[in-house]
Amino acid sequence: MPPRLLLTGLAKSVPGGRTLFQGLDLTVGPGELVAIMGESGVGKSTLLNIIAGLDKPDTGTVAVEGAALSEMDEAAATNLRRDRIGFVFQAFHILPYLTLRQNVALPLALGRTAARAATARADAMLELVGLPTRGADYARDLSGGELQRVAIARALVHDPALILADEPTGNLDPETADRILALFADAVRSRGAAAVIVTHSLVAAAVADRTLRLTATGLVPHDG
Amino acid sequence: MRRLWTLLALLLLAAAAPVADFPVVRPGVPLAFPADHGAHPAYRTEWWYATGWLRTADGRNLGFQVTFFRSRLPVDPRNPSAFNPSQIVFAHAGLSDPATGRLLHDQRSARAGFGLAQAATGDAAVAIRDWTFRRTSAGRFETRIPAKDFTLALSLTPTQPPFAQGEAGYSRKGPNPADASRYYSVPHLKVAGTVLRGGRTVRVTGEAWLDREWSSSYLDPRAAGWDWTGLNLDDGSALMAFRIRAKSGGTLWAGGSLRRPDGRIVRFAPGDVALTPLRRWRSPGTGAVYPVEQLLAVRLPEGIRRYRLTPLFDAQELDARSGGLPVYWEGAVRTQGGRGYLELTGYVAPLAI
Amino acid sequence: MILGEWRAHPARVITAALAIAVGVALGFAVHLINGSALDAFGQAVRAVNGAADLQVRAATPAGMDEALYPEVALHPGVADASPVVQLKATAAGADLTLLGLDILRAGQVTPALVGQPMGGPGSAFDLGALFLSRAALDAVHQRVGATVAVTAAGRTFPLRIAGVLPGVEAGRRIGVIDIAAAQWRFGRIGRIDRIDLKLAEGADAAAVRRTLATALPPAATLADADSDAQQGAALSRAYRVNLDMLALVALLTGGFLVYSAQSLSVTRRLRSFALLRTLGLPRAGIVVQVAIEGLVVGLVGTALGLAIGYALASVALTRFGGDLGAGYFGGVAPALAFAPGAALLFAGLGLAAALAGSIIPARAAARAAPAVALRNAGDVVDPRTPVAWRVPLALVGAGVVAALLPAIGGLPLFGYAAMALVLAGGVAAMPWAARLLLAPFDAHATGRPAFDLAIRHLRGAPGQAAVALGGIVASTALMIAMAVMVTSFRGAVDDWLGDILSADLYLRVDGSTGGFDPAAQTRLSAVPGVARIAFTRQVPLTLDPGQPATILIARPIDATLPLIGPTSAVPAGTVPVWLSEPASRLMHKSRGDTLALPIGRNTRFAVAGIWRDYARQQGAIAIDTATYSRLTGDTPRDEGAVTLKPGADPARVRRALMTAAPPALSGQVEVASPATLRAFALTLFDRSFAITYVLEAVAVLVGLAGVATTVSAQTIARIREFGMLRHIGAGRRQIVTMLGAEGALLGGVGGVAGIALGLGLSQILIHVVNPQSFNWTMTTRVPVPLIAGVAASLIVAAAATAMLAGRRAVAVDAVRAVREDW
Repeated sequence: MPPRLLLTGLAKSVPGGRTLFQGLDLTVGPGELVAIMGESGVGKSTLLNIIAGLDKPDTGTVAVEGAALSEMDEAAATNLRRDRIGFVFQAFHILPYLTLRQNVALPLALGRTAARAATARADAMLELVGLPTRGADYARDLSGGELQRVAIARALVHDPALILADEPTGNLDPETADRILALFADAVRSRGAAAVIVTHSLVAAAVADRTLRLTATGLVPHDG
Repeated sequence: MRRLWTLLALLLLAAAAPVADFPVVRPGVPLAFPADHGAHPAYRTEWWYATGWLRTADGRNLGFQVTFFRSRLPVDPRNPSAFNPSQIVFAHAGLSDPATGRLLHDQRSARAGFGLAQAATGDAAVAIRDWTFRRTSAGRFETRIPAKDFTLALSLTPTQPPFAQGEAGYSRKGPNPADASRYYSVPHLKVAGTVLRGGRTVRVTGEAWLDREWSSSYLDPRAAGWDWTGLNLDDGSALMAFRIRAKSGGTLWAGGSLRRPDGRIVRFAPGDVALTPLRRWRSPGTGAVYPVEQLLAVRLPEGIRRYRLTPLFDAQELDARSGGLPVYWEGAVRTQGGRGYLELTGYVAPLAI
Repeated sequence: MILGEWRAHPARVITAALAIAVGVALGFAVHLINGSALDAFGQAVRAVNGAADLQVRAATPAGMDEALYPEVALHPGVADASPVVQLKATAAGADLTLLGLDILRAGQVTPALVGQPMGGPGSAFDLGALFLSRAALDAVHQRVGATVAVTAAGRTFPLRIAGVLPGVEAGRRIGVIDIAAAQWRFGRIGRIDRIDLKLAEGADAAAVRRTLATALPPAATLADADSDAQQGAALSRAYRVNLDMLALVALLTGGFLVYSAQSLSVTRRLRSFALLRTLGLPRAGIVVQVAIEGLVVGLVGTALGLAIGYALASVALTRFGGDLGAGYFGGVAPALAFAPGAALLFAGLGLAAALAGSIIPARAAARAAPAVALRNAGDVVDPRTPVAWRVPLALVGAGVVAALLPAIGGLPLFGYAAMALVLAGGVAAMPWAARLLLAPFDAHATGRPAFDLAIRHLRGAPGQAAVALGGIVASTALMIAMAVMVTSFRGAVDDWLGDILSADLYLRVDGSTGGFDPAAQTRLSAVPGVARIAFTRQVPLTLDPGQPATILIARPIDATLPLIGPTSAVPAGTVPVWLSEPASRLMHKSRGDTLALPIGRNTRFAVAGIWRDYARQQGAIAIDTATYSRLTGDTPRDEGAVTLKPGADPARVRRALMTAAPPALSGQVEVASPATLRAFALTLFDRSFAITYVLEAVAVLVGLAGVATTVSAQTIARIREFGMLRHIGAGRRQIVTMLGAEGALLGGVGGVAGIALGLGLSQILIHVVNPQSFNWTMTTRVPVPLIAGVAASLIVAAAATAMLAGRRAVAVDAVRAVREDW
């Protein structure tokens, strides 16, 4: 069984010619949470985009469950993202004009899952993140922590192999952040998915199985 | 004689029209009253011309002039239109006040008809709207002139019979015997009435002179204008004298007559009348220079008599150009032993219309 | 901050300013054109009237008895009176107004009409002398001194040009002759057409008018410069008000565009505003800032609009004439006159629109709690917010009530208010309408995520949709309303032309010729191939000097008179007349009512029926031709409707008719087929509405521009949403499709709502505004192809703009899009 995520010899320079990183390797297995930390501007988000297939590495490959995402054309990459990757954003990105249930079901809807099945899955996911009664509510009614719960439900609703999270607690107060991180970690682990969290919050890193630091020569174990 | 300029004014009107049958005045026709007080519509032109001195109740002197002209135009008699302008009536009125040194004047004109303007035959009755001059059954002349700046309401009562000018009313105007008019005057008219000025009506009395003249002839083309005077003398005599000035300078024709208190008339031949300017006045309005003070010399059987004519005041010029008529000087004058009017025409560009 | 905002979105600011400019330009141009035309019309009237204090005018072209002249002249308060014979004349092929004057009276009363003799013999009393205004002299191509043949009232007479009329304004063709010559030569003995009056100094003008009015016989009316100006204004007033309304529509649309531009800009800056507020800027500060932005946009747009309006007016005046081709001011070539008052008015309206469009969203933004705005990503959308329906309903209700109210002073002011209210109500109801119209889509998810998302977005954010829809709905509704009205009108005119042009040939001779006398009528009727000729004459009657003359038509009363309803018997002792619909409305007379007309002696008339007439807005009265001749003695006729014998060759009969016409009328007689007349009439109709079509097109373009900018702005505002969707697996094409679907739905909803609203507004136009301003009615005809075209082009345009904007939005790095950006 191939690893959930396999990065091999990734290198990326910015247009100006500065090398962000090179020779970057990473393997993430099922149920594993990896946190990536680093200085601002070191290229954390670029790495995350390359992993998501939204950016191309200069060299090296990205494989999700053995499929070479970095070699795919845009349509194939989009389909792979839709079916096998989940996303959690710092700014939640819950669409205000959809109900929470519809927001959660969004990846399923994009994947053409039948509406009834998608709704049932979404309700189950909302229950999982502790918002069982809020399916018909809208983003406006929710606090930041609740919004991020909805985002986690959306990231997991289609049983993805890999979940990418970019500063998931950046907009939350520390207490809420703790609870959300715990929920996130539980949900990932219980489903045997893999997760990569990009953050500069040590609290976020604390829930990870491994914490790595991004440097110009690749990922090194975080020594904080 | 007088006011032949109206003939000239109408010269232009007549030229293009079809030839009409205008009677010529002839000598030897006696005047007949009251018919000759009325209009003679067959003749080309005719006027009723009253001038005189007024005295207000508070003893101030005024001069006045009321004139009605009638002109016959040579229109096509076949035109049935009630507006056909065969007869035109003009009127002028002036009031000279030495207190203001200004001549107030106004004018009207209309084609005869519609009861709005007419010159009746049979007796004097001419009118334009509410400007009237007529002779009553009692033999009095009455005139009412509601003008722009003043209103005259005067009755003029004859104290003497009409004074036939020339040869029993046949008055020569030039070397050609056809240049003549029918002409009589009524001097020493006793005036009573009112003058309304500036919202105030004052009673006036005074003495006036009426000229009546009709003719079909034109002014001699060599003439530049004329000087005319009519004087009511204190002894009851009446003196009329005129000269027609040539364009070339000098006198083209002259004439006049004196009626003594007993009714005897002395007629002046052209050589019997001389008018000599003594003082001139330049009109600020028109720039014309008028000999407003003149020495009149007439030859009488008893010898030459001289009359110094002194104006009531200088500014008695009438600028009637806005009404399509000429500029002239018509002023009240005094002389030793009498008062009257002096008329000076043709002093702006010769009788420019 | 303002500058930054504008640098970032110059297109939006420019569009908003342009929209304001278009509104201001149209309003100002229409105003300038009409003002100049009215000036020119007034000058023309003054030129002919010579600026008399007051005039007594004959109510009919038959003139009045000259015996009235001394009566009027001696009326208390009248200082002088100048009798005038006034004739329409032609000389050397040029039309001119020929006045017969007494120069002595005119010199006192109307000196501007007194001729100046030039060279050669001749005088004012010379009955063969003609004085021409400069324009008339140029038109006859003659010099002073030449002799020219002048035709009037069917008679021709040679007159010598004796001089000019220096007092007549440039461009006016006027000839003056002596009144006695005019009466004699042109058959007017005993008649005069008007008496110009000079009032005595210090006379009470109103009192003189009053006493004089009561002293005048019915054949005469009293007029002055005011009533002439009123008449000129009355001629084109309703038409002008219509154009002004269109201009205001453009302005309103401009206001909507500013509103949408500012709403979007405010929404995007909500967080900056929130930050500013937490930093201590008072609520009013935000409103002031946005208001200043709006003011600047308004100023630029207004200045541009005034300049464009002036240019537009000068082009339109030279291309179409002062009535913009509507034919109200025949023969008057106006010069453009700048109107500072109107400029101020329209500048004010433009600024007001821009300000209102800015302040409304700014106030909403200022009300938002800063904490919520700061934390939230700027979206204050709540799909469950109930949409307001009470206010729109109240507005529409008020509109319906206003539509039922009568006209004020001959203007359908309440009708326009009704339109404004219904329009405002309709626009305000858009959130509600959008939900209603999208409900069927929402109930059944299509399973195509792009469409489902599009529908949910529109349903969920109806306020945003309404911002985009406001401009589109307003411009579509008004355009549809105008289109339905014009189509209905044109259809009604077309049908009516079919009714009245039922004869085989039409015969006409110019009115200044005097027409066909009875002998000529008999001769023409006897032309081989002619079964029958119905001869008619049209005579203008002045019933009210402040209004355009009503036309009296002497004609056979038969089936060709397009009656509305039955003919009824009239009371004994009255003469029956048939009023046209506008006459009936203007005179407030209906079937069975009696009325007085300035013809006949002591004759009473009664209304026997009402007929349809779209040709004479000022009203027309039909009277039996024999009755007319008996009452007036006026037997000549100007027009004839020829019925041919079966099998007769129209071309041959036409030639025969031309040769049978009296020699005096040779060259003046026209014979036309009904098809020619119909085509001519419809051409005239289309010309008179040409400017309306142009304005409509402009309104729609402004509306579409609004849709384009709003949709693209909203799309760009949603760029982060697209970034998220791209992350979670939505393809670029899916997003573009979604936006296309949204645009199409928006266009569709706007189109449907606009069309529905427009159909409603068209009913106000057809049943309230038109009868009240033009005094005629019509049935509704819907231009289905046009409406379908409008709907389709709206959908296509909205979808296309949304997709174009979407392409740009998804081209942006999806990654950057989801990042925080403030």
